[in-house]
Amino acid sequence: MNQLFGLCVIPLTLCVVSLLLPKPKLTRLLVSIGHWLQLFVLVNLSAPLLSGAKSELSLGPEFSLDAIGAGFVLLTTFVVACASTHLNYYFAVEKDKSGESGHERLFYFCVNAFLLAMTFIFLCDNLGFLWISLEATTLSSAPLVYFERTKNALEATWKYVIICSVGIAFALLGTVFIYAAGQHGLDRQGSLSISALVSNAHDLDFSLLRLGFIFSVLGYGTKAGIFPLHSWLPDAYSEAPAPASAMLSGAFVNCALYGIFRVSQIMIAAGHATLSSQMLVILGTVTVAAGSFFLIHQHSFKRMWAYSSIENVGLMLIAIGLGSGSLFLLQAINHSVAKVALFLLSGNIVQAFGSKKLSELKGIFKACPIWAFLLVLSSMAVTGMPPFGAFISEMSILTANAQVGNWVCVAVLILSITVAFVAISTHVGRILVGSAKKSFSPSVAANVVPAVLVLSSFVLGVMFRLQSWVVLK
Amino acid sequence: MVLDEYEILALGAAVVAVMMLGMRHLRPALAFYALCTFMIVLETILVSFLQKEVHLFFVAIGILVIKVVGVPLFLNWIMKRIDVRSDSGIMAPPISMHAGIMMLGVSYLLASQLPGMTSDIDGRLAATGAMSLIFTGVLIMLTRKIALSQIIGFLVLENGIYLFALTQAQGMPMIVEMGILLDVLAAVMISGLLLFRIKKSFEHIDVTQLTELRDI
Repeated sequence: MNQLFGLCVIPLTLCVVSLLLPKPKLTRLLVSIGHWLQLFVLVNLSAPLLSGAKSELSLGPEFSLDAIGAGFVLLTTFVVACASTHLNYYFAVEKDKSGESGHERLFYFCVNAFLLAMTFIFLCDNLGFLWISLEATTLSSAPLVYFERTKNALEATWKYVIICSVGIAFALLGTVFIYAAGQHGLDRQGSLSISALVSNAHDLDFSLLRLGFIFSVLGYGTKAGIFPLHSWLPDAYSEAPAPASAMLSGAFVNCALYGIFRVSQIMIAAGHATLSSQMLVILGTVTVAAGSFFLIHQHSFKRMWAYSSIENVGLMLIAIGLGSGSLFLLQAINHSVAKVALFLLSGNIVQAFGSKKLSELKGIFKACPIWAFLLVLSSMAVTGMPPFGAFISEMSILTANAQVGNWVCVAVLILSITVAFVAISTHVGRILVGSAKKSFSPSVAANVVPAVLVLSSFVLGVMFRLQSWVVLK
Repeated sequence: MVLDEYEILALGAAVVAVMMLGMRHLRPALAFYALCTFMIVLETILVSFLQKEVHLFFVAIGILVIKVVGVPLFLNWIMKRIDVRSDSGIMAPPISMHAGIMMLGVSYLLASQLPGMTSDIDGRLAATGAMSLIFTGVLIMLTRKIALSQIIGFLVLENGIYLFALTQAQGMPMIVEMGILLDVLAAVMISGLLLFRIKKSFEHIDVTQLTELRDI
């Protein structure tokens, strides 16, 4: 229990600090330092899990952490820490442009509340708490989307809050069904604890569990942005300030998918792995295909990365469907690292050129070679080109599918990944060339975080051998 | 067939919600929402006596304070501030009310399909009420134009899910129920504050006209 409080101390303090401190400059610095400290605390806590010395860490009643959860909580905190470090630069430029600090206090308060809610998703061992934390992430990130206070931002925020809340209401219904499955099952004891549900999975009433699974997947899937339910996602990602989009895409999406992962664990334990696998693989394949084909006709820089996120959500959903937590984690890490770099870079470029439209961005290579260089590398990383990390995870997903004989899925995936690659390289290529009106010489602060992320994506790609990650037997 | 109080309260809440579908004016709709929620509070207290579950009594008090009194007052205050009185909807209200009545029938058929209804009180009619509330909430969100109606629709939908948990699983653990209640309250506050902003920047709160963001 003490460990649990220890994890909340830094985000809670930062919440208070960001509301009280009068000078935004100091808040920015303190928050970014605080987030790296939080990452350090979490690494310390989860070291025995990652080294394999322990398989589970109990943090008090209804709270526990396993190796996959530890991986995700570290990834989430890392993404938020990177984004908040970059915010130092982003807000400094924004302030020069508009001349006022705007609504930074509320923004920073919400960033910390968002981090806290996301941390709890991975720590709780209870479907009810999982739902509460996921709804809290939506609510705390709504002000992040609305930061720019424009009409478009308002429209995006409204859609975001309403669609996600209704979606997650259905996940609550799914949770109720799973709870009822325990009460109407053999041992007649309802429980929301995930570990208890997994260990008594055979006693659950199957038809109620199946209903619960379907509703939970659709509900949490709305938040993740699976294909027919994704309509809010491109709007929110393109209207939020770039570092906030980076947090949404790099951290928030994983949280929603983690909810699906936990529910599918119960299905697998109950001996119905085929049903959950079929449903998730089909949904995932459709999502990958839709995300890639939407990429072809894009006119907006940030919407393009939003659709690329949808494509990756599909890939992660397939990894969950294959029942492999480590494959899911691997794809999540590779996607988050590359996508956060891309969103931060896009933020810089949009700030410098003053437009989000692809047709109005031209000649980045002439204007600022270093941005062009980083943009090319990170788009390669996100589309899954070797030698970057995403290549290994996408390849593992393909081989794992081939092993279980999902040939249709393999064919669709290869086609969609190729389409996505061609579409993204065409769009990026088009904005790189041409003559620029002016040139920029950005400070080191603008490039350091994206450069580090691109480098880590490269290291991730070189470090692991392919065989060691194919976990499916 | 004789209905007992348990079934009357659940079905009554559903009927009250269906009547909300037929209303053009927002004020009575809010009052009916409060009435619907109040019937659910009574149902909660009844179940807490029948099942001897003390924690449900506290949940009932929480709902009474937040959803019966707090949320309707807050929404009423917003309604006055942004000066919206009625919502004619995409569909004429009487037609959407008939759709609601039809869904009530569909819920009855669906409830009999529900697996595992072996709790000591017959849950079938109560499940009908809960499912009908869920459908009604979705219908309100689909057939209304004004942003405020969408919040009301969401609240009705959430009521349905709560009633379902209460009648089919004797309510969730108290700490979970309280967390859900707080989340709903926060969602209503945030969307309510967004309503002010929408009114200020667009000068209307008609969500069918919020179509600026598209792929093209």
